[in-house]
Amino acid sequence: MTTLHKTPATSLVPLTLTWLVLCVLTVLSLGLGQWFHAAAWLPLLVAVIVWVKGTMVARYFIESDLTHPFIRRLLKVFIAFAPLWLILTGFYGGQFAQWGSLFLKH
Amino acid sequence: MAAEAVLESGIETEAGGRIPGNKGMWVGITCEFVEFAVLFIVYFVARANFPDAFQNGAERLSRVSGTVITLLMVTSSFFIACSVNTMRSGKRRQSIYWLVAGLVVALGYPIAKYLEISSNLAQGINGESGIFFTVYYYLTFNHLVHATWGILGILWVLVRHSFGGYSVEDHHGLEALASYWHATDIIWLIIFPMFYVLA
Repeated sequence: MTTLHKTPATSLVPLTLTWLVLCVLTVLSLGLGQWFHAAAWLPLLVAVIVWVKGTMVARYFIESDLTHPFIRRLLKVFIAFAPLWLILTGFYGGQFAQWGSLFLKH
Repeated sequence: MAAEAVLESGIETEAGGRIPGNKGMWVGITCEFVEFAVLFIVYFVARANFPDAFQNGAERLSRVSGTVITLLMVTSSFFIACSVNTMRSGKRRQSIYWLVAGLVVALGYPIAKYLEISSNLAQGINGESGIFFTVYYYLTFNHLVHATWGILGILWVLVRHSFGGYSVEDHHGLEALASYWHATDIIWLIIFPMFYVLA
């Protein structure tokens, strides 16, 4: 008889695969930073890698899909927060700095 | 049998899903996330205002140290997740071994950080070396403090585990510790590219 409810995992295979992908992405992002440090699109790519790594830890290590909706949302928002800022300041850093100086002046 | 035990007990069920560990730990993790979200805003405001300082600053940091710390964090997180999963399967002894492995790897983080900071100081890089380094020291030291709480937590859980404090039916303490360590890992995964990748 099958159950509709997901249960917490007992297998180590998904954890091992997640760990391998996280290690590869870490080394890859380091290489990207060195090879393309002047590229305008680097912040976008780095933001995507950060989001993927954070989501993998949440989904496979914390098993966020099985958690209470508050925990699920908390993880989703926090993991998306920095990559979003990374993209915004990467492409619109000048405008942000201008707005900041306006607040400081008045 | 073990899987049924996991399904029926050992889980705090709520209306919409389970709470890994306990509610108190998730209140703490929420506070930790809020604290670091504020620090990330400080980082991004500083980066937008002083792009050159951030461009040049990152090039003076040891990328090897950042990468080693990231690999240590990810690996210890993996080992601790394995400890939880083997406990769920009823393999208590294996679970303890995974936890010991997680602790040993986690202890590499403060050692790597010590070596990194020693190298920085030898090059004359301290908290007053410019806006980039002020933000770098503040954020990474803060993370080290949180990781230290985690390492102490691993030690405590390991002592309890060694004396039979956890079972297939009740291992909330182990899961709470694992949740905290994974959350601290996520924070480091965000910090790493901010200082070591984006030059």
